[in-house]
Amino acid sequence: MKKKLISALLSTAMVATLITGCGSSSGAANDTAAPAASEAAEKTEGAASEAATPAAGAGKVYYLNFKPEADAAWQSLAKAYTDETGTPVTVVTAASGEYETTLQSEMAKSDAPTLFQVNGPVGLANWADYCYDLSGTDIFSNLTSEDYALKNADGGVAGIAYVIESYGIITNKTLLDKAGYKVEDIKSFDDLKKVAEDITARKDELGFAAFASTGMDSSSDWRFKTHLANLPIYFEYQADGITSTDAIKGTYLDNYKNIFDLYINNSTCEPKELSAKTADDARNEFLDGKAVFYQNGSWEYSSLSEKYSDDELAMIPIYIGAGDEANQGLCTGTENYWCVNAEASEDDIAATIDFMNWCVTSETGTKAMAEEMGFTIPFKTAVTSPNAFVKQDQAYTEAGRTPVSWNFTTMPSEEWKNALGSALTAYAAGTGDWDAVKSAFVDNWATEYKLANE
Amino acid sequence: MEKSIRKYWPVFVLPTLVAFTIGFLWPFVWGIYLSFCKFQTVNKVSFIGISNYLRVFSDDTFIHAFGFTALFTVVSTLSINIIAFFIAMLLTRGIKGTNIFRTVFFMPNLIGGIVLGYIWQILLDCLLSRWGKPLLALDARSGFLGLLILMSWQQVGYMMIIYIAGLQNVSPDLIEAAEIDGATPWQILTKIKIPMVMPSITICSFLTLTNSFKLFDQNLSLTGGEPAKASQMLALNIYETYYARSGAQWKGIGQAKAVVFFLLVVVISLIQLHATRSKEVQA
Amino acid sequence: MSMNSQIKTNVNALAQQQESKEQARARRTENVNTVISVILGLVCLVYIYPIFMIVVNSLKVESAISTSTAFNLPTAATFAGITNYIYGITQMDFLKSFLYSLFITVSSVVLIILCCSMCAWYITRVNSPLAKAMYYLCVFSMVVPFQMVMFTLAKTADTLKLNTPFNICIIYLGFGAGLAVFMFTGFMKSMPIEIEEAAMIDGYNPLQMFFKVIMPITKPTTISTAILETMWVWNDYLLPTLVLDIKKYRTIPMDIQYFRGSYGSVQMAPMMACIVITIIPVILLYLFCQKYIIEGVVAGAVKG
Repeated sequence: MKKKLISALLSTAMVATLITGCGSSSGAANDTAAPAASEAAEKTEGAASEAATPAAGAGKVYYLNFKPEADAAWQSLAKAYTDETGTPVTVVTAASGEYETTLQSEMAKSDAPTLFQVNGPVGLANWADYCYDLSGTDIFSNLTSEDYALKNADGGVAGIAYVIESYGIITNKTLLDKAGYKVEDIKSFDDLKKVAEDITARKDELGFAAFASTGMDSSSDWRFKTHLANLPIYFEYQADGITSTDAIKGTYLDNYKNIFDLYINNSTCEPKELSAKTADDARNEFLDGKAVFYQNGSWEYSSLSEKYSDDELAMIPIYIGAGDEANQGLCTGTENYWCVNAEASEDDIAATIDFMNWCVTSETGTKAMAEEMGFTIPFKTAVTSPNAFVKQDQAYTEAGRTPVSWNFTTMPSEEWKNALGSALTAYAAGTGDWDAVKSAFVDNWATEYKLANE
Repeated sequence: MEKSIRKYWPVFVLPTLVAFTIGFLWPFVWGIYLSFCKFQTVNKVSFIGISNYLRVFSDDTFIHAFGFTALFTVVSTLSINIIAFFIAMLLTRGIKGTNIFRTVFFMPNLIGGIVLGYIWQILLDCLLSRWGKPLLALDARSGFLGLLILMSWQQVGYMMIIYIAGLQNVSPDLIEAAEIDGATPWQILTKIKIPMVMPSITICSFLTLTNSFKLFDQNLSLTGGEPAKASQMLALNIYETYYARSGAQWKGIGQAKAVVFFLLVVVISLIQLHATRSKEVQA
Repeated sequence: MSMNSQIKTNVNALAQQQESKEQARARRTENVNTVISVILGLVCLVYIYPIFMIVVNSLKVESAISTSTAFNLPTAATFAGITNYIYGITQMDFLKSFLYSLFITVSSVVLIILCCSMCAWYITRVNSPLAKAMYYLCVFSMVVPFQMVMFTLAKTADTLKLNTPFNICIIYLGFGAGLAVFMFTGFMKSMPIEIEEAAMIDGYNPLQMFFKVIMPITKPTTISTAILETMWVWNDYLLPTLVLDIKKYRTIPMDIQYFRGSYGSVQMAPMMACIVITIIPVILLYLFCQKYIIEGVVAGAVKG
């Protein structure tokens, strides 16, 4: 019986293949052999395939999105654009930490992304040949400041920042109150340390910890290997009066160690469990009221505001005991520059520029970016974002505090970040020492800088 | 007859030949060429000679990955084959439930490497944290052991099947005769059973050897090379050089690494083939 | 298999021939066997535990899965029912990936079997430079690791637009031809040529002969090759990841990998639910075709 079944299956399949020719025509094979699968394919293409035929310009847009948390919002924005104009827009989001990998493999394809992003000058160096010169476009002239454009060596506009973000230590005011403190009490690293250690001492009584887990899983480790590492770099650049370097000195590494120690020793879990903790874990701990502090950025607002009102949340600067702490603001800047693929067809380039422009000028686009994605976009046509953290950043700046700029865009390579992340993870777990972190920070900077610039 | 078949070559050979050219020959030749080049995408390729190869051998991560891979290959080949042979011995005794055992032991083979990796990552991390040990991503030694356990778990069943087939071919008369001559079970094992299943041993060790040496999926999902590439094997090292490193110079280096990797596999296969041949002569 | 009965008859024969000493020995062997059965039974339980654990955890809520709680059975508070399954399937378009995986596997394996067995027959029966070259190239391709061709293969497939689930089987045929051709030639070399000559005299042309005479004879090899190729294609991760148009298509292994870290999080619970869905058909297939699979493995080993 079984034998018969199998031979029947095999022969049917073979006949199907024979009819369609031995692998010559794929289209036909799809019609006869797999109606179910081809139907599914049509559904996938969805709006894109329907819109491909109408005469709404010949171009199409393929956006390789960097921000996983904004994936859903981009998908619906792309759909809205297609509905409105007929131009097909495909948005693919790379997994966290996989952007460079995905970009490399996608750019090698004939149907490459028309819109991708680089994280700043270092990222641009690799893709400069592939960036269409955006000078003279509407979107460029719409920028509130030319500083938000990423220039090529020859002065062409290679990338345009599309979002300005801030990060710091997100604080649950209600819990902080319960512990007997106010946001205003924390004005320096010493204050932060005092508060955090006091909360840890009374952890059982209070029922919550100071910091949400410092997760070192790849979905979360960028908060520390990149964002937190920005602070020692920033203060070193400030002290030396430079904006980038081929060899970092690590002047403020002790401060980096202090803040990292504070995070991992006053956390919801044991330091050695951190390597498996994910971004979700930390967010959920904060949402569940298990932690007062949570280092992250304004992009988290949309998920946090589902649970907390604006009055319950605050974002305080990351004090590491360096520089002028009284006037330190949030870390504000961008690592998100849009680039248009210069190798795409002219139609696609035109369609892509139109799409970018639409995103930052149309009502639908600006609203989606401000509200759903919670972005502050550096364009004249921007609408005010309801993002409480963004507002807080503005308040700090108005109060005369200096925002900490995003210098991590000058980190020599992704590899440098990964090596630092590994060293930090090992240090947190006790399987590695701080010297390894130092070496990953200082020595590896020089090594990677050299590799990247030869 | 040969003539008439020969006339039909477009039907019999051409489809495979075309696909083979697309799927193997052309990429292979092109890959060798690219290993001497610098390129970001293939639209802009510049020939730079052998400097990629020089970089491969000065790349510590590649040397480390080679050491890790070699050690893993040796240890896993031994462990998988010994365990599989032992279980096969037990399952040819005619004990109750032989079929069920065989079914269970073979089952993990059907599950893909990526999936297996995640299953074991969860399981092993739980165990390690329960014992208060550093997790997989922190300790290259537990990463190594984890890979070993995972690969043994997956491959033992497959090799066991081959050994069972081999052991069943050993004639019962021969063993009976030896028993009558007063041979101990150990003598029967070493003097009769092992020499008789030598072909199976050769096949199994070849399969485990190449599987372990070329391991990618399990490595990617179980440890991802952590901590700091300490548990990274060759295939993953090449992949990461290619796709995770930004900058045009890395592609060529990745391709050169792949060529070196390919040559290593060829050498191992040749040694193995030689071993097989010499065994065949003896038999 | 007939192993059990075979040994039983052996035991019976022995018992008849020899006297009480032998009986005692047989009884002792039986006792030892029972002990082994029990021990192996326990080992088997440990062996399937990882799969059991995945099933258990796929029924729990996300927050109840962590390194410290993954061993716990679901309680009333942490039991999630099939919500993870529903979420996993809808979030990732998992069913679509499932169908793509299924289609890619079936089409590739059928194509490989058909084309490679034809090619192998030609190689076996024709003595020409083309046939020889094909054979040695196929053997050679078996040792080449995928990393060697990954970039150029992806580029070639992209240029020729072989990047959809409907024609990626051509790539699989190209890269998987080596093993299949090798296995088929191994078998065909031992086939007596007389049958074919007789068929020739009956007026069959080579095509008719192949489908009416050769295919039935090579059935065992066909099945074993099909099984090996199925296990490869169904579980393959890197090739489809690099070759397929990721804007539209994903296979199951790609989906599982996507659960890690895409959309800003690692979703353990739905991931495990999808792992369970992935494993079930394979295990069912295995239980139904166990005999063929085992024969296939053995045949593959003899020829490989």
